Amino acid sequence: MEVKIALAGNPNSGKTTMFNDLTGSNQRVGNWPGVTVEKKEGRLKGDRDVVIQDLPGIYSLSPYTLEEVVARSYLVNEKPDAIINIVDGTNIERNLYLTTQLIELGIPTVVAVNMIDVVRKNGDKIDLGKLGAALGCEVMETSALKGEGSHEVARRAAQLARESRPVEAPSVFDGSVEHAIAHIEESIEGRVDQRFLRWYAIKVFERDEKVLAELKLDPSLTEHLEQHIADCERELDDDAESIITNQRYAYIARVVSSAVEKKQSGLKMTTSDKIDHIVTNRVAALPIFIVVMAAVYWIAMGPLGTFLTDWTNDVLVGEWAVEGARGLLEGNVADWLVGLVCDGIIAGVGAVIGFVPQMLLLFLMLSILEDVGYMARIAFIMDRIFRKFGLSGKSFIPMLIGSGCGVPAVMASRTIENERDRRMTIMTTCFIPCGAKLPIISMIAGAFFDDGWWVATSAYFVGVFAIIISGIILKKLKAFAGDAAPFVMELPPYHAPAPSNVLRATWERGWSFIKRAGTVILLSSIIIWFLQAFGVENGAFGMVENNDNSILAAIGTAVAFIFIPLGFGTWQATVGVVGGLVAKENLVAIMAVCYGIAGEVSEAGEEMWGILASEYTGIAAYSFMVFNLLCAPCFAAMGAIKREMNSPKWTLAAIGYMCGFAYCVSLMIYQIGGLITGDVGFGVWTVVAFAVLAAMIYLLVRKNKYGEYGERLSERKAAVNA
Amino acid sequence: MLPLSLAEPMVPQSIAKITGKDEVRRHLAELGLVLGEEVTVISALGGNLILQVKDSRIALDRELANRIMVRG
Repeated sequence: MEVKIALAGNPNSGKTTMFNDLTGSNQRVGNWPGVTVEKKEGRLKGDRDVVIQDLPGIYSLSPYTLEEVVARSYLVNEKPDAIINIVDGTNIERNLYLTTQLIELGIPTVVAVNMIDVVRKNGDKIDLGKLGAALGCEVMETSALKGEGSHEVARRAAQLARESRPVEAPSVFDGSVEHAIAHIEESIEGRVDQRFLRWYAIKVFERDEKVLAELKLDPSLTEHLEQHIADCERELDDDAESIITNQRYAYIARVVSSAVEKKQSGLKMTTSDKIDHIVTNRVAALPIFIVVMAAVYWIAMGPLGTFLTDWTNDVLVGEWAVEGARGLLEGNVADWLVGLVCDGIIAGVGAVIGFVPQMLLLFLMLSILEDVGYMARIAFIMDRIFRKFGLSGKSFIPMLIGSGCGVPAVMASRTIENERDRRMTIMTTCFIPCGAKLPIISMIAGAFFDDGWWVATSAYFVGVFAIIISGIILKKLKAFAGDAAPFVMELPPYHAPAPSNVLRATWERGWSFIKRAGTVILLSSIIIWFLQAFGVENGAFGMVENNDNSILAAIGTAVAFIFIPLGFGTWQATVGVVGGLVAKENLVAIMAVCYGIAGEVSEAGEEMWGILASEYTGIAAYSFMVFNLLCAPCFAAMGAIKREMNSPKWTLAAIGYMCGFAYCVSLMIYQIGGLITGDVGFGVWTVVAFAVLAAMIYLLVRKNKYGEYGERLSERKAAVNA
Repeated sequence: MLPLSLAEPMVPQSIAKITGKDEVRRHLAELGLVLGEEVTVISALGGNLILQVKDSRIALDRELANRIMVRG
């Protein structure tokens, strides 16, 4: 018989490690319906009839975060046959808060007291028998990290699931509260699944909006129950929800004091605290953070990363794949097919594959920082700075990942609970130059600025300033009004990275980058190759000798006027921009094709630097670079934005904002900058550029009209005065 | 009563009152921050605090720290 077991627990309780241990590679990753919370499901190793459903890490079953809503509706609506509740043994009191709520669901539950090795090392003792008797469920010990006990827990849970005995919930509440809940139970019996009776009764007591809406009790009954609840509130001088919370904690404190023996109680400075005293120190925090980040990027982008990238580009793709395919095909198939496969598909997809080693290296570093526990501290350190322009410290992590690839960066915004903050993070995170934008930067730096180091540095500054300016401007709009959500976050203790967790996280992020090579980029490489290879020449349609006659050139010429005010209104640059939407790293190769450079071009397009320098001025080139850094990201990242925004309106708003912002900034750079350098004369567009500048300054400094809930402050003031 | 942001570090404090929106209070309760609970400020970074609550470390910003009153 197939059984379904849900794996529930607090964040940082070792749930992911246990899930990986139980299911190995038998996993399916998807999304929970309607929301962008990751859903992982797998089959138990050694017993494939057991399906293990990993629930998101949660602190309770109240609907504060998306994760809690998802977990709660799964448990109540899908009714798994058993629950494994993984509990951090070193922080048992807080973790049992969720446990008491899970037990009330009436589903057979096995509590896995995890990190038992650390508990023992601390000299603490947990009496599993006593704990189990008090909680009314099975309690076992595990050390997921060391692979101890997990499978025993899963087997026991499967056994309980198959027996499906009724579960007796312990009496957590006392006095009038228990009385009121029992009374509610009687009143709603028959309206809900018998197993969930207690859970529903408690939720009614708490006046949980979702449950009340679901039950649709008749008004007279609601009023009758409301009297009981109000009586309790008066007696205990507290609101119903707090009463439940407090009695829960009181019950847990009793259970823990009888079943857990702590060697050392009270305050102690752990090693973790000592590290925190240094890395979150008022003075040292930022310098340490900068050093750590510099090391991460030096490893990923420095000698090692460059070596791996060069090898992949030149040897793996350049020599083996392209030449191998050419040797195989030439003479056997039509010439155009050779061109399509070698110059179109392999070169196009290969350009993307070239980034994979660097990207994986960067994600490996970031995953280590995450697993060790430093990432949570980064959010904490950066919060103070980010709050000044309306973003939370949690927005910083997506931006760090964004320096590698925008796709996992946009996905990383999921951890931000507040919807406004999350949307704003998604809209701004792609401003950070991702790995694929680096060739554009090196091309411009090489062709126009003598390889000046300041070009790349300024590109990152442009990205950071774009985020800051956007933060300030957007926060004054109604849709984003109000301060960033209060920052509160659990800091897991530092620990050595677990290789399996780190590798898995690296691979999941890297895979989202690689996947698009096989889909979006493959398809667009084919299309663009056709468009540039075919056209009308000498009055007949066919393959063209001269690129200027291709269909691509015709399309580019038709829309190039849009970019004239920005200084790069040529069809080649226009096609480059469009190619950049497919994949930013494609831009250089596509422009080379447009300029009729035959054969393989280097990553930064050195072969066409001469042509570029003669076609564009320096200021136009810089404007071109900035436009490509800030405008809509590649299709893959736009797809990620669409998934995470989960709304066509917001997706369009995000992409439209990025493009509009990029256009404005480039316009100002070219027109005003050109005026200063003497490359551009005074004209209508100069006036427009100054108008844009004035508008932007106004948007930056104007007063905030909206309060925290998007209400107009002027109206509130009027109401107060009245 | 004084706000947690002014409490002396490394001295256990008892929570007397938490003000603010329900959903934030609920989330704080989930993390163990409830009336009567003992908290200790482990370190402070320009008003942002790291607390010990039960056996975990919770980071929160200055604004939130101002909403938690302790007996002092």
